[in-house]
Amino acid sequence: MTKTTIDLPPKGGFSFDLCRRNAFLESQGTKMPKFRKTGTTIVGLIFKDGVILGADTRATEGEIVCDKNCEKIHYLAPNISCCGAGTAADTENVTDMVSSQLELHRYATGRDSRVVTALTMLKSHLFGYQGAVSAALVLGGVDVTGPHLHAVYPHGSTDTLPFATMGSGSLAAMAMFESRFKEGMTREEGIEVVCAAICAGIFNDLGSGSNVDLCVITKGGKEYLRNYQQPNPRSYTHSKGYHFTSGHTAILSSKIRALRNQVRVVEGDAMEEE
Amino acid sequence: MGDSQYSFSLTTFSPSGKLVQIEYALTAVGAGQTSLGIKASNGVVIATEKKLPSILVDENSVHKIQLITPNIGVAYSGMGPDSRVLVRKSRKQAQQYKRLYHEPIPLSQLVRETAAVMQEFTQSGGVRPFGVSLLVAGFDDNGPQLYQVDPSGSYFSWKASAIGKNVSNAKTFLEKRYTDDMELEDAIHTAILTLKEGFEGQISGKNIEIGIVDASRKFRVLTPAEVDDYLAEVE
Repeated sequence: MTKTTIDLPPKGGFSFDLCRRNAFLESQGTKMPKFRKTGTTIVGLIFKDGVILGADTRATEGEIVCDKNCEKIHYLAPNISCCGAGTAADTENVTDMVSSQLELHRYATGRDSRVVTALTMLKSHLFGYQGAVSAALVLGGVDVTGPHLHAVYPHGSTDTLPFATMGSGSLAAMAMFESRFKEGMTREEGIEVVCAAICAGIFNDLGSGSNVDLCVITKGGKEYLRNYQQPNPRSYTHSKGYHFTSGHTAILSSKIRALRNQVRVVEGDAMEEE
Repeated sequence: MGDSQYSFSLTTFSPSGKLVQIEYALTAVGAGQTSLGIKASNGVVIATEKKLPSILVDENSVHKIQLITPNIGVAYSGMGPDSRVLVRKSRKQAQQYKRLYHEPIPLSQLVRETAAVMQEFTQSGGVRPFGVSLLVAGFDDNGPQLYQVDPSGSYFSWKASAIGKNVSNAKTFLEKRYTDDMELEDAIHTAILTLKEGFEGQISGKNIEIGIVDASRKFRVLTPAEVDDYLAEVE
């Protein structure tokens, strides 16, 4: 038998082959495409009965707001949710993928998913792509071992914290948390602090805006409060509508053209039926 | 599939036009413990014997009826380890579908893909056909459905079916008892009675397993206590 070299398919991880080409093109003056980012303020905190996750709802493409009410709190498992900041496609796909893996894991083990399982799956994936997957996540949930909250960075490192913020509005939100957080808050107190933190991001960071989404996870279940607060209502529409009388726009020239009738009717016999 | 030394299929035609390996696989299924399924108007029930090789085996560790998705479950007759491989592949296929279309996989498509896997193993190098027949039950947008998949890769949708040992008696029993407007509770009782027909020894919640799916679209395996309750009702 002749010896042939076997081309093994790449095992996974990012293929950096095209990066040199991209760098060359950029140096030649090619404009790189803008991608949709979630500028974002995302937060999470642990309260007496579990975890509260919060997020704003603005998605940006460069300087333009491309979605005024997007969903940044993603489903991972019946008892685990994840807020995502960074490139929207990356956060959505990585959370979808881990959600799928967690479901398979639940069938294989016969148990409810644990937050640390989701954490390990996310950080291994992100580390393998060496930061190319631009997803910064706040992961929270309640499992048999209790409530857990983690911050996951794009390169694969994680923090385990009682309160966490990520995204461009994280500093504004963290300022609120540092001054108002206390251990063992009730649900109402926790929601108030989370809303204050997200609003701080909404009003002080250009990358965040629109509404506040919340997700409250306790041992009893998960409550997704979509658009819990809407501090930026569209209040500038005129109730009577807008009318512009003629003369507002200057007419430079006018030309009238008759539309010719293109249809000719021809009398004929009906088709014979068999 | 398989090393280059075994790139030929071990399943080859006999002069009479049969694939003997598949016939033998069906024999292996026929020697397996009885499983049956009944489709009711508002749900599906599948049941299987769970005779353990010795009284020393911990029955809580044995799960013959498995979940593939939240609304689809499967029972088997034949070789347990072969069924595990198929269940694993089916679960993965269901997840891939969900990732692509963001909705749960319809039962008929899942069955088609599982059957395709089983057929692959009758025509690939170095592998043998699966020694199991599967009864797949689920509730999706097309209502309650019950499918049977054979080692050859052929699949059928059934109103009621039985596989494994004692299958002819079980099917005759089901033919007599089945009605189109049966409800899930009646179907569960009928399933228990059918299993009881060919059962050797004392039937109880510990040596049979029953899985049901109703309009809530949540497939679940009944606990031994619940099975005992149904057994008491049937007496």
